[in-house]
Amino acid sequence: MLSASEIRKVMEERTQHQKGTGKKVVDVREEMERLEEKGELLIHRIRPENRPVPMQTLFGWTKRIPTDRLWHHKSCGQCGNIPGYPSALLWIMNETGRTYLNEPHQTSCTAWNYHGTATSNPVALAAVAARNFHRAYETDHFPLIHCGTSFGDYKEMRKLLVENADVRHKVRAILRKMGRDLVLPEEIVHYSEWVQAMAPEIVARKKFDLGPVVATVHEPCHYYKMIPEDAIYDDRVYGGQRPAVPTGILLALGARVADYSTWYDCCGFGFRHILSEREFSRSFANLRKIRPMVEEAHADVAITSDTGCVTTLDKSQWIGKAHGQAYMLPVLADVQLAALAMGAHPYKIVQVHWHAAPVDRLLEKMGIDGAAAKAEFLEYLQALKSGRAPELLHTPHEEIEQYFAINKGQVLPEEGTGASPPTTEPPAGVGRALP
Amino acid sequence: MSVVAHLPHRTLSLADEEASSPPAMELTGRRRMSAAERSLAETIYQEFRADPRHEEFVLGCLNCGECTTGCPAARFYDFSPREMLQIAANGDATTLWDALQEKIWSCCQCYTCNMRCRFGNDIAGIISVMRELSVRHGVESTRRTLAPFGRSLTLLMTVGTQVSSDMIQPDFFRDWGPFATGSDKAWDVSPEIMRKAIPIDVLQTTRSAWEVSVQTSLELFRIYEETGVLDMLRGLDPDLTEMLVDIIEERREEFREARETHRARLETMRGPVATFQG
Ligand code: SF4
Ligand code: SF4
Repeated sequence: MLSASEIRKVMEERTQHQKGTGKKVVDVREEMERLEEKGELLIHRIRPENRPVPMQTLFGWTKRIPTDRLWHHKSCGQCGNIPGYPSALLWIMNETGRTYLNEPHQTSCTAWNYHGTATSNPVALAAVAARNFHRAYETDHFPLIHCGTSFGDYKEMRKLLVENADVRHKVRAILRKMGRDLVLPEEIVHYSEWVQAMAPEIVARKKFDLGPVVATVHEPCHYYKMIPEDAIYDDRVYGGQRPAVPTGILLALGARVADYSTWYDCCGFGFRHILSEREFSRSFANLRKIRPMVEEAHADVAITSDTGCVTTLDKSQWIGKAHGQAYMLPVLADVQLAALAMGAHPYKIVQVHWHAAPVDRLLEKMGIDGAAAKAEFLEYLQALKSGRAPELLHTPHEEIEQYFAINKGQVLPEEGTGASPPTTEPPAGVGRALP
Repeated sequence: MSVVAHLPHRTLSLADEEASSPPAMELTGRRRMSAAERSLAETIYQEFRADPRHEEFVLGCLNCGECTTGCPAARFYDFSPREMLQIAANGDATTLWDALQEKIWSCCQCYTCNMRCRFGNDIAGIISVMRELSVRHGVESTRRTLAPFGRSLTLLMTVGTQVSSDMIQPDFFRDWGPFATGSDKAWDVSPEIMRKAIPIDVLQTTRSAWEVSVQTSLELFRIYEETGVLDMLRGLDPDLTEMLVDIIEERREEFREARETHRARLETMRGPVATFQG
């Protein structure tokens, strides 16, 4: 079910049916080039400074994954309730010497809300996407999407903006009212693809062994079921039959990845359900995911690569006690496990205390002294309480940035002509990670 | 003679139906509707069929059931994506109205059905179209279903993030936060300090997922105004919408004041930061 061969077959049959509507293009990137030539949009291109790494997608097309000069498109769910997710990612970027911008001038994709309550519409979603795309473009940093749903939504919105002239014109008119214009990134890139592209550098910095760890992977639905042609596959991971991320980094780090029968099921997040019908999310997560992972695969940890999936799988297990479920399976994002393996502080950086299922046994298996780390963190909390300045992963923002998406010397549109291709280099050090 | 023929049965006139009290559902599954509901159902149905996405998302159906086989919602609810697609393709105003009452809200939007349908139907997408219509027209059952979302809609509309850490409270979403392991006492710090311990400055807030600059939130609100989202929300919850407008007015004021405070620096800048007026 949902193997790459089957998805390809479905996609091919679908293309036949969709040809009748005359609306579908196969590779949206080719159409983007044509529209750029006609002056209808601008492509935010991946440049040598972005140090791209080529990967293969579902149909064997090449997707270049930029690894440097990145604009963090944060996830509202991650930042709100599992903050170790973004901090582990930024920490790895610092460790590997990658530069980035992490700004307050970003909104979420708003697609959690759309898929939960439908209080939006495609033009609004496309305009939200395009506003964020333009901000990334004017800072001359390539957008890196943290959330699986934002990734899925932005793939859909890019396709919509390319295929539907009416939506494109409406969105462009709105953007112009705020001094922006329509810019589409050459690739929509999910952070787990960055992690995969960085695997050699991550492995080279490995401090703790994942050999004793059995991991099960939950593949986020919106990573590969929305616009499946953009997902990364690799023959060395599941024989190319399932997405290469996030499994690839686990294999590279030496973990034992175990299979389980319901791998293709969603996590139970449901967008609406996780907030207002939690009995569904809890039942689904436990019965269809956590139990098979533990009882079939004897997992030590569940790894996934999306906000909603970590949230649901992790924060639904508590209710399992009511059903005699005598275990809690730690749930982490790939990037959190990778950071732990590289020696990141489990509390200060990976922020494991925000997770509901305890990770102590996992840390022990990896050879990490969790108790010492916790004691150190408790001390740090007390220090913060008595007014000590917090430790930060990058230079803090200036006060003016609470109000304005300021120009820090980045690329700006030519006056009067809308957006123009990058011409200037931002000054060194802007938004650069602290050593 | 079949058993069915012996069941109590009569044809109701419209007047009978409107005069009668609950039960609201007949054995046939046909919903008892007031004249106003009938008219609204017809309007929604016409808009649904006229939506350009209908033609694009609904391509045909073999009734093979592949979509339902993989559907998480079908395991726990009286719901099936096959039925939704059939209603979209072949239904009428009444069957669509029926679906809007509850079923459309069962879907998890996981897109598994889309991936299994050989016809290439966008079932998750057509369900969203149905949802949008019932929000826009303020269908009563939809108002009830979405009533718990006031808080997250406020955040979403004003700063563009869905959740904030101050939603995680010991008596609400207790199992989500640092409280989860029952070790609140061991931490002995406030949620604000817990956020300060995240090593990213823009995340050190409890009121939003991250600090969003005023310009960014005003640009977002402009999008909602221009694309009809605000009007849509008015159909669902007029009081909430007015409150949002007030919040944004205050932020616009704050933005104008900040323009004065930072005038000298802003004058040196080009691009949106120089042109956007709030
Ligand atoms: S999988 Fe497609 S064709 Fe089959 S029942 Fe579902 S919608 Fe119809
Ligand atoms: S998108 Fe909705 S209808 Fe389709 S499989 Fe998922 S829950 Fe079922």
